[in-house]
Amino acid sequence: MEAVPFERAVHLALADEQLQIALDRGTTRGVNARLAAMGETTDPQALRHQARLARERALNRLPELLEQLERNVIANGGHVLWARDADELNQHILTICRQHNVRHVVKAKSMVTEETGLNHALQAHGIDVVESDLGEYIIQLAGEAPSHIVFPMLHKTKEATAQLLHDKLGMPLTDQPEVMTRFVRGVMRQKYLQADLGISGVNFAIAETGTIATVENEGNNRLSTSTPPIHVAVMGLEKVIATWEDYAVLVQLLSRSATGQRMTVYNNLISGPRRPDEPDGPEAFYLIILDNGRSRILASEYAESLACIRCGACLNACPVYQNIGGHAYGWVYPGPIGAIVTPLLRGPLTAPRLPYASSLCGACQTACPVEINIPDMLLKLRRDLVQAGDPTLGWRIGMRLWAIAFRSPLFYRLGGRIASWLTRALARDKGYLRRLPPPFNGWTDHRDFPAFGAPSFRARYLARANSRSNGKR
Amino acid sequence: MTSARDDILRALRTALNTQAPFPADETPTGLPVTRLEPSEDLVARFAAEVERVKGQVHRAENAIKALDFVRDLLVAHRVQRVVMWDEAHLPLRGLPALLSALDIAHVHGSSAAIAEAEAGITGADWALAATGTLVLSSGPGRPRMASLLPPLHIALLTEDRILPRLEDYLAAQRATRYSVFRYSSNVTLITGSSRTSDIEMHPVFGVHGPLELHIVLIKNPV
Repeated sequence: MEAVPFERAVHLALADEQLQIALDRGTTRGVNARLAAMGETTDPQALRHQARLARERALNRLPELLEQLERNVIANGGHVLWARDADELNQHILTICRQHNVRHVVKAKSMVTEETGLNHALQAHGIDVVESDLGEYIIQLAGEAPSHIVFPMLHKTKEATAQLLHDKLGMPLTDQPEVMTRFVRGVMRQKYLQADLGISGVNFAIAETGTIATVENEGNNRLSTSTPPIHVAVMGLEKVIATWEDYAVLVQLLSRSATGQRMTVYNNLISGPRRPDEPDGPEAFYLIILDNGRSRILASEYAESLACIRCGACLNACPVYQNIGGHAYGWVYPGPIGAIVTPLLRGPLTAPRLPYASSLCGACQTACPVEINIPDMLLKLRRDLVQAGDPTLGWRIGMRLWAIAFRSPLFYRLGGRIASWLTRALARDKGYLRRLPPPFNGWTDHRDFPAFGAPSFRARYLARANSRSNGKR
Repeated sequence: MTSARDDILRALRTALNTQAPFPADETPTGLPVTRLEPSEDLVARFAAEVERVKGQVHRAENAIKALDFVRDLLVAHRVQRVVMWDEAHLPLRGLPALLSALDIAHVHGSSAAIAEAEAGITGADWALAATGTLVLSSGPGRPRMASLLPPLHIALLTEDRILPRLEDYLAAQRATRYSVFRYSSNVTLITGSSRTSDIEMHPVFGVHGPLELHIVLIKNPV
C-alpha cells in the first residue's frame, strides 16, 4: 500500500536540503511557541488532565452524544448525514452537489476530507474545488499533499513558495511572506464570491447545543462557511464533546499547543444555517459524521488515540518528524500520532514501518495536551506486527537469544564480558568499530559502533557501592 | 439494507458494551486556562491583549470622542463604502449622520456588494479581557460580513461589556440555557486581525479576513 517504501522515503527526506532547512525553521518555532504558551497558563499539568478527562467523558458516551448532537443540529435547521467509510462521505457530498447544481466549491482546511480523498472525487465529477487556507492553497497549486496537521506546507521554504506563485500565477518574485500572502488574498477573493458551496472540517462538535466549532487564523474558514449558499461540515465521529465547559478548556489548549496562541484569531461557533431573520450566512447546512474505522478503534485497546485533538504538537516535538518531515509517513496523518492512526485506520500491514519510526523518547507524550500515551501504543502496535508474523527468522532468533540472556544474571554477565572483549579487540578508530558483519551492519551502515568501556558499568557500580559502604563504617 | 446511522451507532454501542474504554471520572471542568489576577483592571488588560495580537484599541472618554475616532479611521483609510450593523445594535448614536457628512455610502445586500466596502462597522456582544477577544453573534441587523469581508474592521464597544475570560462568557450563556446558539447561526470569537504562519511559521498579519482591527472602547456614562 505504501507508495514509496518508508526506508526510501526517509533517505529522500534526509537528502533533501530544502526540506531540512524548512523543518529546522518550522519545528523549532513550533516547539518554542507551545512551550511559552502552555507555560504561562494557570496550571499546565492540571489543565492537560482536565482536557484529557473531557475527551474521555466524550468517548465513553459517544453514541448518546452523537444522537444528542444530531437532534440539536436538526432543531437548529440543519441536516445530518452519516458515512460508514470514505466513499460514502464523498458520495454524500456529490449528491448534495448534484441536488444544488454546484460547480464551484471552496474548502477550508479539513484533515477528514484528506482522509477520504474528497478533492479527487469532486474533480472526477467535473466540480471545481479550491483550498482556501493559504498553505493548503499553495500545496494544491504545487500538486502536493499536506505534510503537517496544522502547517500543511511546513516542508516548503519561503523561497520555493515564491517560485511556485511566480510560475503558476505570475506573482513577481519576492522573499517576503507578507507580499506572498497579500497576493494570494487577492486571488482568493473571487473564489469565495463565486463558490456555490463551502466545505469545512470540525474541531469540536458541542452536543448540548448542536454547534460545530472551528478554529482558524486566516479568516478562510469564516469565509468558506459564510459566503457560499451551502455549508457542508465534515467530522470524524470522535469530535463530539458533551459541554461548553469542555469546549473552553479544549479549544484553548488546542490553540496554545498548535500555534502558541492564547486564542486563534477566529473561533467560529456555527449552529445550523442562517435563521430566516438573519441578513447573511448559508441557506443550507449539512453535517456529515464519518466513521471510517473509528468505531473499530473504540473497541480496541487503542481507544485512547481517539482523544487526539489534532494540534500537531507531537509532530513538532518528535526527533523523527523533525528530521524526515510529514511526507515520509506516507499518508494523511504524519508524526507520532500518525504512526498510530495510519495503521489503525488503514490496517497494520499498510504501514508496517511506522510504529518503529520512533525512539520512544516520550517527547510526543510530554507535548500532548490531552496526555495521550503515544509511546505505549507504538509498542503495542509493534507487538501486533510481530504477532501478525511480520519479523524475519533472523530477527525472531535474535530476540529469543536476547530474552534468554536478559532473564539470567549468569548469561547477562557472560554476554557482557564477551561483547566487551570482542568489541575492544576489534575497535580500531578511537574506540569505535567502523564495520560489523551482518546482521549487525544494520547499525554500522549508518554510524560507528562504540566499543564497550572498561571496566564495565557493573564493575564500576559494584566498586562504588563497596567504597560507599566502607566509608560509612 | 441498514442505514449508515444505525450501523455506526450499533458499532459504537457494541464497542462500549463490553467495557467503557476509560474510567468514569466526572470531575467537572473548572479551572480556567488563562491567568488573570483578581485585582487586574479588565479594561487595561483587554487593551494590552488586543495590542499584543496586532489590533488597536482607541479609548474614548465619551460618545463624541468615539465618533471622532471613527471619523479619523474612515478618513485615514479613504473609506467610500461601509457595511454596518443596524444602529440599534451599536453602542453609539450618530453614525448615519457622520457617514453622510463624509459622503460615505452604506452598502447592503449580496456578498459581492459588501466585498466592495472598505470598512465594516460592528458592535460586539461581549469582550474577553484575558485574551483580547471580541464576541460577535449574527442576527437581524447584525450581518456576519461586516466583520469579515472589508479590509478594515471597526468594532464599537463599551467598557461594561468586558468579561474576564472565555469561561465567564460561557457561564453567562449557560444561565440563559445557551439561547444565543439557538438564535444566532454564527457566533464568532475574534482575537486580533486575520493572520497566518503557514510560510515557515513566520507570522503575517492580514490574510483572508480584515487586514486591520480597530476597537473603539467607550467609557460608560457614570
